[in-house]
Amino acid sequence: MLDFIQMIASGIAVGSSYALMGLAMVIIYKTSEVPNFAQGEMALISVFFAFMLLGHYGVPGYIAFPATLVFAAVLGFLLEFTVLRRAKNPNVLGMIVITIGLEMILLGLVSWKFGADHKDMPFPISPYESFAMGKIFVSTLEVLTLFVALIMMVTLFLFFRYSKLGMAVKATQQNKTAARLMGIRTNRIMMLTWGISSVVGCVAGLLLTPVSMEPFMMWDPMLKGFASAVLGGMTSLPGAVFGAYILGIIENLFGGYVSIEFKSVVAFVIIVLVLCVKPSGLFARHYVKKV
Amino acid sequence: MDMKRDYYEDVKLFTSGVVFFWFMVLMVFLAAYPFLVKNYYVYVANYIAINIIVVIGLNILVGYTGQISLGHAGFFAIGAYGTLILMTKFHFPFLVALPVSALIAAVFGFLLGLPALRLEGPYLAIATLGFGLTITRVIGKIEFFGGRQGLHAPELVIGPWHLNTDRDFYYLLMVITVLMTVGARNLIKTRVGRAFVAIRDADIAAETMGVNLVFYKTLAFAVSAFYAGVAGGLFAFVLRFIEPEVFSLFMSIMFLAMVVVGGLGSIMGSIAGACLLGWLDLQLRNILSLPYIGSWLESLSKSYFSLTGVSNIQFILFGLIMVLIMLFEPLGIFGFWIRTKKYWRTWPF
Amino acid sequence: MKKKLLSILLAAAMVFGISICAVAEEGVTDTEIHIGQWGPQTGPAAAWGSVARGTDAYFKMINDEGGINGRKLVLHMFDDGYNPAKTMAGVKELQEGKGMFAWVSGVGTATGLAVRDYLMEKKIPWVGPAAGSQVWITPPSKYLFGVYPLYFIEAKALCNYGATKLGKKKFAIVYQNDDYGKNGLAGAQEELGKLGMKLVETVPVEVADTDMKPHIMKLKQSEADVVLLWVTPSHAVRLVGTAAAMQFAPQWMSTSTCSDFPFMNTISKGLWTNVIAASFGELPDSPHPLMQKYKKAHEKYAAKEERWGVFFTAGIGFVEPAVEALKRCGKDLTRERFVKELEGMKNFKGILGKVSFKPFNEKDPSSRQGTNEVFLIQCTETSGSKQLTEWTKYE
Repeated sequence: MLDFIQMIASGIAVGSSYALMGLAMVIIYKTSEVPNFAQGEMALISVFFAFMLLGHYGVPGYIAFPATLVFAAVLGFLLEFTVLRRAKNPNVLGMIVITIGLEMILLGLVSWKFGADHKDMPFPISPYESFAMGKIFVSTLEVLTLFVALIMMVTLFLFFRYSKLGMAVKATQQNKTAARLMGIRTNRIMMLTWGISSVVGCVAGLLLTPVSMEPFMMWDPMLKGFASAVLGGMTSLPGAVFGAYILGIIENLFGGYVSIEFKSVVAFVIIVLVLCVKPSGLFARHYVKKV
Repeated sequence: MDMKRDYYEDVKLFTSGVVFFWFMVLMVFLAAYPFLVKNYYVYVANYIAINIIVVIGLNILVGYTGQISLGHAGFFAIGAYGTLILMTKFHFPFLVALPVSALIAAVFGFLLGLPALRLEGPYLAIATLGFGLTITRVIGKIEFFGGRQGLHAPELVIGPWHLNTDRDFYYLLMVITVLMTVGARNLIKTRVGRAFVAIRDADIAAETMGVNLVFYKTLAFAVSAFYAGVAGGLFAFVLRFIEPEVFSLFMSIMFLAMVVVGGLGSIMGSIAGACLLGWLDLQLRNILSLPYIGSWLESLSKSYFSLTGVSNIQFILFGLIMVLIMLFEPLGIFGFWIRTKKYWRTWPF
Repeated sequence: MKKKLLSILLAAAMVFGISICAVAEEGVTDTEIHIGQWGPQTGPAAAWGSVARGTDAYFKMINDEGGINGRKLVLHMFDDGYNPAKTMAGVKELQEGKGMFAWVSGVGTATGLAVRDYLMEKKIPWVGPAAGSQVWITPPSKYLFGVYPLYFIEAKALCNYGATKLGKKKFAIVYQNDDYGKNGLAGAQEELGKLGMKLVETVPVEVADTDMKPHIMKLKQSEADVVLLWVTPSHAVRLVGTAAAMQFAPQWMSTSTCSDFPFMNTISKGLWTNVIAASFGELPDSPHPLMQKYKKAHEKYAAKEERWGVFFTAGIGFVEPAVEALKRCGKDLTRERFVKELEGMKNFKGILGKVSFKPFNEKDPSSRQGTNEVFLIQCTETSGSKQLTEWTKYE
């Protein structure tokens, strides 16, 4: 029984980091209708930027981390402005390939600049200390990640639901032309969503760095984030977060009780099964096409 | 010019004498190619030919039927492992093992098509991705398939011929590639192909017109899986060794990129995309040995970047080429060709 | 008519004459020896790119000292991104283009297996694959000389030490689910079997896995007091860290891949202290005269961000036997002579263990396995290494 609770706790812990990546992907999907494959690398370059500030230039932490978030936001704006917008009459697959290309460029830049070795990020919270609740151990970093994920989800949810800007974003997603007619500057809205998503991704990356930091670190979290966003519904923010937790818990339970080798495989199989029943994910509304 | 007067003209393989002439020229060039270049470039041509087969199959699924698949490396793996297992453990001859393993891949394609009936967009992408991942993990686990040690390809014997050099493979590959390309083109022009295009453009309307969605969607998956299976079986012999990690997610993403960059919904486009990206994949690492660019890159690395990571230029260039092509021409390389043709048609006005 | 016949005869004589004189070996000219190597300079395995760069610095050092018998060594290294298709492409391009005399090192079991048959068919010597797998010597090939002590052997050394010197009873192993990890698993099982023990837990790790909690849970449940780590450095750090968070602290033992203590201690933030590792070569901070020489070469030739670590020195160590054999060949350098010199090598000591080969016997794998010596070290708090055993040979 104790093991079961420990596994659930571990699953929630690992789900939080997937949740942040999932959130970032859903935000972009809501407005640009494209799953952003470059999400992981956008976070990667921001994280390495922080590393450069902290290490090379010796900037103290309380300046470096906010500066990184600003950098991430600007990167998001820049990518949308220069790349996505320039695509003429894009179709979805074209946009996907553009994001894949961007991903390779960013990955190449980071690997080129920093080399392939593991780096050590001076992060204030160590991933190796843990709270013990009886016999259940959860590391402090994981608790922090959990809090951050939940706070982000709530903030974004409130932002999109109740603020004027948030409603503008939803309007842009539903019908771009109508939104423009109503006076919403859709171009700015697109830039804004990319910026927000990049910042969320950057936070996810920063929380992953204490464990391991090397150019290929974001591949797996991005994939899992994408899968959990799909599980929860690509157009639903709470869906992405809950999908991530469900994915994390399933992986840990399966790994603990049945087989560690196949845990990712089973996670994907379960996602496919869920999608067969609910084709747009668990929490999103399935828009049935009208002819 | 492009106007077709009756059905038979539409279906004809060579629309005019000119097209037939250029086709013959191409065939002669391809036949003479191994004698014109060094052996290494024959290996590159083999690699590109295999990619062409996969990409044409993927194009049938993605370009003509409007689905998406991030799991084609899985079908590729089934073709490769199937052929080798049938040849080594069950002693089938190559010409039987290849189609049989491709059919097995087609069966798996059919199975994957079933959930695809309800899914679309990113949901379908994740479902196919999961499939690709599952296949490689399962193959890696089963010792009968060589597990993680991988499998070595036996010597390839077809009838009285022993094929062991790249040049021999080249001719075999060319024959199979041409057959499959012509087959795909014919498929597109028949009612099956039209059904695919109808599903892509308006599937509900297609259903009302009598196109059986279940049958044709799963058929699209099965056909593209068949192509990937054939290519996989050939790949096992070009590389002489396969192991599960070769068939990774990155390979599936590469295939998808080749389709889109080449041009969705066009066979010539897939060939162009496979050629370009396949060639870049193998040759970009040589950029450092180019005379001026190489040394400029190295000095740039010393001052601003790290010299140890300088080979990552490949990734940057690869990504840059993909992004630029897609930005300037969403229809891919084939789109460039169409635009050039249109421009010259109305020249000099 | 007579003139024509004369000119034809003359031309034939010239061609004959030239073809007799110019029977130089492929890849060898009067001033150069061309050697090829592949390595992952990009991709997820790019950390192992240091191996090829180590060889590069070593060759530059030798060339500065005058080369080998008047010839300079030219290293053609290319990036294969750990993708066997690219390895094959690069090997073919270099072999059929420029023409390599021999190939050295080369990271990766899968990448190496893809090109092994091609090189062996063409009778091209290949010395020191940078992977300690048994596939190179089962069955042994005449032109393939293994130098890296087998992972199998390292597992045996560690288990033996743990059971006999430390008196531990419960051994578990975390292994990467591929050839590297499985070789370690087999070695541990065999050694423990000889001592009358069994592994209490075996936990596989997929390369793509990042979350190590299920693995640590299993290990904790088994209450092992020694855990063998047969994974990559990044997984090893995660495992040790997750275990610390879950307050599970067995005696960790690892392979030579994670024996670079300063590096491991930095990225694990000090958790690597007291880990016992096997090592197949002199350590980077060793006072051995050869290591000091190579360190100077590193300072002179390597890029400034190149880390002086185990992978870099391994790139030198795997190639030393090949260079020694080239020196022994003298001016008359052919592949057959090169193979014979290698076969005659007995107890050659560079920075690895003593390397010996024997004349080729396809039933005897040890005729093509150069060394099976390792020694064990333990990480101290200051990231130094405390040597626990001497160079020991295992079978």
